Amino acid sequence: MFDILIKNGLLVDGTGAAARQADIAIRDGKIAAVGKVEGTARRTIDASGRVVAPGFIDPHTHFDVQLLWDGAARPALAHGVTTVVPGNCSLSLAPLKAADRGRVIGMFQQIEEMPPEAFTQAFEWTWEDFAGYRDALARNLSVNVAPLVGHSVIRLWVMGAASQERAAHPDEIAAMQALLRQCLKDGAIGLSTSFVDVDENARPVPSRFAQFSELDALCAVLGEFGRMLQVVPEFYDADLTIARVDQLSELSLKHNIPTTFSPLFDSVQAPNNVSKVMARVSEQFARGARVWPQVQTRPIDISFSFLNPSLYFARLPRWMRILRQPLEQRLASLRDAETVAKMVADAETFRMAGPMGGLVIRGGDKAPAHYVGRTLGDIAKERGQTVPQALIDISLEGDLDVAFLSANQGHNITDRVGPLLAHPLVHVGASDGGAHLKSFATYGDTGFLFSEFVRASKHLTLEGAVKKITSETAAIWGLKDRGTIAPGYAADVVVFNADTIGRGEERPVFDMPGDGMRYTRDAVGVDTVLVNGQVAFTNGAYTEARAGIACV
Amino acid sequence: MSEAVIVSAEIAAGHDGDADLIVCVRYENGVVAPVTLDPETAMKLLSACGVSNINELAGQPWRKVLEDI
Repeated sequence: MFDILIKNGLLVDGTGAAARQADIAIRDGKIAAVGKVEGTARRTIDASGRVVAPGFIDPHTHFDVQLLWDGAARPALAHGVTTVVPGNCSLSLAPLKAADRGRVIGMFQQIEEMPPEAFTQAFEWTWEDFAGYRDALARNLSVNVAPLVGHSVIRLWVMGAASQERAAHPDEIAAMQALLRQCLKDGAIGLSTSFVDVDENARPVPSRFAQFSELDALCAVLGEFGRMLQVVPEFYDADLTIARVDQLSELSLKHNIPTTFSPLFDSVQAPNNVSKVMARVSEQFARGARVWPQVQTRPIDISFSFLNPSLYFARLPRWMRILRQPLEQRLASLRDAETVAKMVADAETFRMAGPMGGLVIRGGDKAPAHYVGRTLGDIAKERGQTVPQALIDISLEGDLDVAFLSANQGHNITDRVGPLLAHPLVHVGASDGGAHLKSFATYGDTGFLFSEFVRASKHLTLEGAVKKITSETAAIWGLKDRGTIAPGYAADVVVFNADTIGRGEERPVFDMPGDGMRYTRDAVGVDTVLVNGQVAFTNGAYTEARAGIACV
Repeated sequence: MSEAVIVSAEIAAGHDGDADLIVCVRYENGVVAPVTLDPETAMKLLSACGVSNINELAGQPWRKVLEDI
């Protein structure tokens, strides 16, 4: 007898092979049989008219904290994601001495924008070493977790405050090597580092103080295990990114390790950047290096409120001057009728009133609920105002804490992004799940891959898209027995409607500890998700299953 | 040409949802290449150049950015 039998579905097995009708039998958390399956099961799932595929793997997340109280990494699981990789960008929650927690919380808050209560109320901080963190995670998992260990916290453990002041001495590098080795033995899937990130005081995170010799020494340890190095390069400059690609390639070849870097995204304002980087990536792969660029599927939005000056107004000198004033002075200017009249006139003169009409009110702590999700043009018409006037007045009515969205301003040209995602050397990832909580939703990228690049533009086939985010990801990261539906593999399975899978509209929710706000997107078209052979999500609801594991 | 200069500037969406500034720089050897500046650096650049509109950055020396970063 099988535990679960999924019948009548269209199997897309993750290998890129053509879809075919097949049943899937599951026993003891594994795929037991595929094809025309005879026999009975304790539970049968009818997948008629649905695709049955391996669970999706998200290789770039910051769910490190959330997983401690939400083992489903909501809403990632509902989108069909069955394995997440946290610990990216040099930051993880272990190894970490109790005395250093405050310092790392600041770094996490800078990236994740998570409320302080997430660290003080939502879980019991019982560990210092990586094994302790892994065990704390494992108590409550609905998804699988393949955690990276962060270079910054390894440095902090060994060097203390000096980790953000100077290069390491040889004995300190040796201590970091020993610590990394122990983390890898305890289940870390690799090491992450960053050449870009800053802490809450705008100081470079510890990893940025490392000399190349330190990174080389740590990669030697990764080489003992064949594990991944993840890097945030200086992505704002293509030439610097290419220099990092070369460095990563040397490390990959020297230590026989995979490396990956992110983000890499398209911008029409710098239209040759991606092609230049990809040309070098191709050269390095041809040499035998493994240097995987991670590319996200979703477009990039610009968001802002009047609480912080935004370059969105960079073509409006008067607006820039006023929005850069100290808060009290800024408020006074925005309440001054004569000043506002000039601002409104400027917006018309410099042809910004039209684009402003397309802004969407997205949230912020004081955004009127009945305005959220609507365009400013629509609201201005309703209020009987010009668009710039409405922008100013709505901001003032919300004490400036009203967020506006200019959607799809980067990485947004489907005919440029589609071929990039389909490129055989591009690793689909960089979702940043669990990060940037108060800035934009980092969920639903897998759904968007299917809705935009499979169904709408056809840059990828259904089978090719599934392969990108399942078996290919598992192979890149060395995840054993995952990402493919075949006998013996872990029964991580997603059942979805190929005609409707997508991502819901972005919306603000207040479900973080301390009623903290984040932006999210609901799943669309995902029926059922199994993790290690147990139904973790079905019919729009999470189950009580806690079959996720910390896996490598 | 004696030094690198900014030849144009445009707003672009940054990775973290901010509006970034992309400046095209013509270097001493004639190469023109884009560099992306985060909002804070871009604001400093505007101040250092004494301008309040990105259109006025054209012709400004690139060292104004380097002095700030």
